[in-house]
Amino acid sequence: MIWLTWRQFRVQALTAAVALVGLAGYLIYLGMQIRDAYDKDIVGCKTSGDCEGATQLFLSDYELQVFLASVLLISVPALIGLFWGAPLITRELEGGTHRLVWNQSVSRTRWLVVKLSFIALASVIVVGVFSLLLTWAASPYDLVQGERFGAMGFMSRNITPLAYAVFAFVLAVTMGLLIRRTLPAMVVALAVVAAFQVITSFGIRPHLQEPSTATVALEADTEFKAIRDENSKMQIKGYNISGAWMLDSTHTMLEADNKPFTVAQYEKECFNGDMDKVKACLATKNLHLDVAYQPANRYWRFQWIEFAGYLALSGLLVAFCIARIRRPLF
Amino acid sequence: MTFVLEAEGLGKRYGRHEALADCNLQIPEGRVVGLVGPNGAGKSTFLGLACGLIQPSEGTIKVLGHHPAAGTDQLARVGFVAQDTPVYANLTVAEHLRLGAELNPRWDQKLAERQVRQLNLKPDHKAGRLSGGQRAQLALTIAAAKRPELLIFDEPVAALDPLARRGFLQNLMEFVAELEASVILSSHLLGDLERICDHVVVLGDGRLQVAGEADDLVAEHYRLVGAQGDFEDLPQDIEIIQAAHTDRQTTLIVRSTGPIPHHFTEATHLDLEDIILAYMSRSAYASVTGTAQQFLEARQ
Repeated sequence: MIWLTWRQFRVQALTAAVALVGLAGYLIYLGMQIRDAYDKDIVGCKTSGDCEGATQLFLSDYELQVFLASVLLISVPALIGLFWGAPLITRELEGGTHRLVWNQSVSRTRWLVVKLSFIALASVIVVGVFSLLLTWAASPYDLVQGERFGAMGFMSRNITPLAYAVFAFVLAVTMGLLIRRTLPAMVVALAVVAAFQVITSFGIRPHLQEPSTATVALEADTEFKAIRDENSKMQIKGYNISGAWMLDSTHTMLEADNKPFTVAQYEKECFNGDMDKVKACLATKNLHLDVAYQPANRYWRFQWIEFAGYLALSGLLVAFCIARIRRPLF
Repeated sequence: MTFVLEAEGLGKRYGRHEALADCNLQIPEGRVVGLVGPNGAGKSTFLGLACGLIQPSEGTIKVLGHHPAAGTDQLARVGFVAQDTPVYANLTVAEHLRLGAELNPRWDQKLAERQVRQLNLKPDHKAGRLSGGQRAQLALTIAAAKRPELLIFDEPVAALDPLARRGFLQNLMEFVAELEASVILSSHLLGDLERICDHVVVLGDGRLQVAGEADDLVAEHYRLVGAQGDFEDLPQDIEIIQAAHTDRQTTLIVRSTGPIPHHFTEATHLDLEDIILAYMSRSAYASVTGTAQQFLEARQ
């Protein structure tokens, strides 16, 4: 059965291997470049003095490449699902060859289990190598950027991509088993995988653990990007705790009694063209922010939870497929 | 007596369409069984049920005493060649033999290789490039080299030219002799079946029309010719299969397990093909007009 699986899969495996080698070459090159630039510009910025400018330049130099590589890594599981998963059963049904292979002395269950394990393993290897290399190549960039929890970065580094690959593959096989035609199975699988990733990123991951909360006093040296107003309340935009995942991008300025600092108050008391003066003024108002965040040290816990969660989902799908294929399909 | 196939109240529905209904059947061991019927009679459904690719909607079917495809043991005992003899187009002939060897514990590589040599199939030829006849032979070889106890074929020769058909059937019969296997073979080519089958199952309109040993069927069926009034006193245990009337005479095809009353001097036996045709046209006719039914009722 392993021989047959390999024989039917070898063209795809070879294609993936060639693509992976090319990609690996590129990622190693990118990683060296990023390291060089990091050593020269970021580490060396202390001597030249303009660390902020160097950081901005470094990030903008590699933003596009890291972004594109991340997007590619996120889409590889979906591609694996489309081209390895969906046709696994439907190709047999459409060619009628299931009537040949399912009448050899190997049960349909074993046929499916061997195929699933073999190709899931191949998926893990492909995505694993890709993720390892990208994680390595982009690590100085990620360090400087400090957004490890960002949707794009979280999904395309370390171990979560491996579990996505298994899940996307098994899901597409399941769709093939249920829908029995390749193209519709591909479309549905793609939609479901995409939906799962969006829901996980924006609906589930922020709440994997009860967020930490903190009350942050607004001082003259508190770093943020901008101040804005909404519904006549003054807000801070872009306040960050280093390495943590801020669950809100804006925070309302609160007075000591937790009443929002209003636009009217601001215009009367602190409005000024000069940002430094505004900051100094705000610092005298005894204002604070209530912030909710996932601390930096939860990163690996979240990676493992998501990894395990997607593997568990895959396990459920496999169990379903086995239960279904035990009975005749028609 | 052991049976290669037993069906009890077997039926399969696809939505509202009844592909097969109320099929009760026992096929003894060691036979070459011809499964006959017009297109859409339920032959493929029946064979799909027999090899476990199709789940019955009602009733039960047992093949070699077990549920079809119940386990690897059962799978090893039954060789199935599906309609259009599916093979993997991008695998070579040799790779198909490897497939058989990898997936079947009782695989007979010598038999398979001998067969491939005899057929002049090139081992490195892709199966997708084979002619219909060669593909059917390859599929037959894979099924036979499993050394099954029962070989099932769904319309194996339908798409073949006469020469390829003869070659295939010849080969099949050689395998049967060598493997001492039973065979169930569906076809609508009655001539072929008459030559090789010793047991016949006729399906029509999703129902079993008749089943039995070829010799028994020939012995039990008669053609009676007479004037219209002659058959008023036909005994009740003689079953009328087909009736044809002209102005001058009536021709009946009847089944009788006992002797025919001696005054029907014109009673002649039919050959198997005519018997099968009579049952097939009865089912086709009955499903359209119910005429045969009317005639039967008119007698009572």
